[in-house]
Amino acid sequence: MSQYYLFQDQKKCIGCMACVVACKSRQALPRGPLPSLIVTIGPRKVGHLPRIAFTFMPCFHCEDPWCVAACPTGAMLQRSDDGIVTVQPDLCVGCKTCMSACPWGAPQWNPQTGKAVKCDYCQDRVAEGLEPACVTVCPTRCLHFGTPDQIPEIRRERYARARAQDL
Amino acid sequence: MTSHTCSVKSLHEQLRDTLGSGKLTHPWCRQKVSEIFDLVHDVSQGQAGPDHLDSILELAGQLTDRGPAADCRESGEFVTAFVEENREAFQSHISTHTCPSGHCPMLTPAPCQMACPAGIDVPSYVTLVGQGKYAEAVSVIRRDNPFPWVCGLVCTHPCEFMCVRGRMDSPIAIMDLKGFAAEKSMSARQYANPEPLPDNCRKVCIVGAGPGGLTAAYYLALRGYRVTVLEALPVAGGMMMVGIPRYRLPREVIDREVAMIESLGVELRLNTRFGKDVTLEALRAEGYEAFLLAIGTHGTYKLRIPGEEDLEGVLPAVPFLRRVSLGDHRMPGGRVAVVGGGNVAIDAARTSLRLGCEQVHILYRRTHAEMPAHHEEVVEAEEEGVQFSFLTIPKEIRGENGRVTGIVCVRAELSEPDSSGRRRPVPVEGSEHVIPADAVIPAIGQEVQSKGLEAFEQVDWTRRSTIRVDTVTMQTHQEGVFAVGDAVTGPATVVEAISGGKKAASAIHRYFEGIAQPALPAVPVRRRRLESFEVPGALKSDLKRPEMSLLGRERRRITFQQVRLGLTDQQAHDESRRCLRCDICIRCGKCVEICRDKMGIGALQLGYLDFDEPGPTDMRITAERCIACGACATNCPTGAMQITDEDGYRVLSLCGTVLNRLQLEYCEICGEVLGPARYHDYIMKRVRDISPEMGSRRVCLDCARSKSGGRHAEITPPRE
Repeated sequence: MSQYYLFQDQKKCIGCMACVVACKSRQALPRGPLPSLIVTIGPRKVGHLPRIAFTFMPCFHCEDPWCVAACPTGAMLQRSDDGIVTVQPDLCVGCKTCMSACPWGAPQWNPQTGKAVKCDYCQDRVAEGLEPACVTVCPTRCLHFGTPDQIPEIRRERYARARAQDL
Repeated sequence: MTSHTCSVKSLHEQLRDTLGSGKLTHPWCRQKVSEIFDLVHDVSQGQAGPDHLDSILELAGQLTDRGPAADCRESGEFVTAFVEENREAFQSHISTHTCPSGHCPMLTPAPCQMACPAGIDVPSYVTLVGQGKYAEAVSVIRRDNPFPWVCGLVCTHPCEFMCVRGRMDSPIAIMDLKGFAAEKSMSARQYANPEPLPDNCRKVCIVGAGPGGLTAAYYLALRGYRVTVLEALPVAGGMMMVGIPRYRLPREVIDREVAMIESLGVELRLNTRFGKDVTLEALRAEGYEAFLLAIGTHGTYKLRIPGEEDLEGVLPAVPFLRRVSLGDHRMPGGRVAVVGGGNVAIDAARTSLRLGCEQVHILYRRTHAEMPAHHEEVVEAEEEGVQFSFLTIPKEIRGENGRVTGIVCVRAELSEPDSSGRRRPVPVEGSEHVIPADAVIPAIGQEVQSKGLEAFEQVDWTRRSTIRVDTVTMQTHQEGVFAVGDAVTGPATVVEAISGGKKAASAIHRYFEGIAQPALPAVPVRRRRLESFEVPGALKSDLKRPEMSLLGRERRRITFQQVRLGLTDQQAHDESRRCLRCDICIRCGKCVEICRDKMGIGALQLGYLDFDEPGPTDMRITAERCIACGACATNCPTGAMQITDEDGYRVLSLCGTVLNRLQLEYCEICGEVLGPARYHDYIMKRVRDISPEMGSRRVCLDCARSKSGGRHAEITPPRE
């Protein structure tokens, strides 16, 4: 796992896709590839009410990434200092093995360059001390980026509040 | 134009860098530059129209004049200056669809086309022959050469020496396919002229109705000129008619193709020798404003040995072949000695045999290996019974009662190669011997017979007594007077004369129009970009160059019937499929490199792609090793390598040659195409250590995402 953590507070997410658009626009991607994606679940009937949920799906930057193991050219790389998994375009030949190997479909295909693209937590922004593009544009501020110890304990607090009201 | 850079490509790259660098911060400016980039991209892809250049300059002008920032205006000025400076290269890219430097991959011409003096778009017509579109093939050829049938029978086919297939096994029978297409379409009455432009009432006079003169006549007539061709002989065709014997080039072939040119309104004045039957003043008075000298080399070099001048029976090859072609079929003598080792010597020897000579001897002062004659011709002559005496130098022609009785020769040895690499024959002392002969035919070279051309006072002549011209425009030192063919090059080939004729036609047109003449040689034009045939890899490797049937040896010895009997339909179609389509695949070798060095698979063994050191080629091993990842196709700059999914299979093909075909698997959830099992096995092997159980389920990218997205969704029951 990378030393960073991107947390989405699903309770707050309204599925506006601003994060998805920001991601594509920052990487100047053509039609097709979506390095980060909002997966819409539902609407589903929960109890008597329809419910919908939005899951933000960037790359998980796994501890032991399948994509890195699958890549025959060494283009897919896990950075040793912070664990960010990133693809080096110069080395990528477009064999798509990373895409097929990833169980979550994180690496995407850029048909314009004939190479794989993926979420790299906006590594250049992070290097400058900024947050990833998706996080900065979120209108509900449901996305949080940082190291695991910086992530707000939203779910715990919410749970605690709910329990407290039960009393 | 074999420069090492291409200005179009260079501007393309500079604009891409400018756009990518983020230097241009003003959005209007970025927009304009990216519009220019798109237009330059079209030019480098061969998709530009005649207005592209103006549009580029217009946009650049807008940047310069209205640019809100300094870097904007600089970009505009840069583009304008660059395009103006390299205007000719840009225009050439647009009009010829060819980038001779090979930097624009889509416009890199095939080696065969580059090797053809006339610049015929070989891959296109070869493909059309395979499609059975013979008339279309002929019209593609005639854009660059009005004699497809003649050249289909007697061309020296330099294209075949450059043919890439020759590095694999043997070159494509390019010449035979041309002859096949011409014969088929002529026979089907589909051999047609293009529509000429309307008459422009300007008169051009061409001296000499050989391949050079008639080619110029054809292209000038198509441009609307009134062309008159003067010919001293009673037949048109020049050396094609009176130099090349009938058994190689039947008279009907020349007659039909000349008739096609005549039918465009070209006037042929036969039996009219310039300077004797008609004068320059008379022609000028008739209104001829430009002249093209295409008089060929109808004079012969002398042996310069005793007996040559005064004995009856010494008959130089050129007048001998002319005499026979014009219908005099008397044999020169029972025993004939031909002196020389070129094609003319072989022609004279084989013609003598056919006239009934009992013994025909070719005397050549070097060896078989040094003979300038074509190998095939030599073999056919040997088959017919021509005898060869190599390392034999004639010293004297002997005779009795004024008639030749024999030729005294000395034997020779070849010296060590001199500074020019040539091995000279050195006479062996005391090796004199007599070869009995009733006729001696010298065939050691030809020269221009310039008599009659004195009227063109400013025309300059070379030391070899050929006409001096600018090789780009074929213009002589006298304004309005051009020259082509053997009279310029010395004895050469039909296709070289045709090439000159085409250049001269375009230069004469520019002369009339007052347009500046080109400074660089013409670039061959890509006429079409045709789909390639789908051929299984194994068949592609197995197809062999066809063996053409020849006339029986007995009949060859006694008649002037055509020796080479032509290809069958099946042979021609197969041969067309054997072509590697080098107009599409530019042999950059990226596919091989990626498969071997980057992917570590090595499924592509295409040794023929390497020009300098061709390696072995095996189109079968791809099917055994390839995982169909498609990296080769993704990185192919021209789309020659393709990976497609069709009828449940993933197919990898190179210019239509199917190298691999693997059955596809589909997503278990949505049915989307996944890829072949071998591809998944490859990945599973690589990720085995991370997740041994992974891979049991085959799910596509989108389904994988939404499934795991669902798993993470927190849809919890509402609080009661």
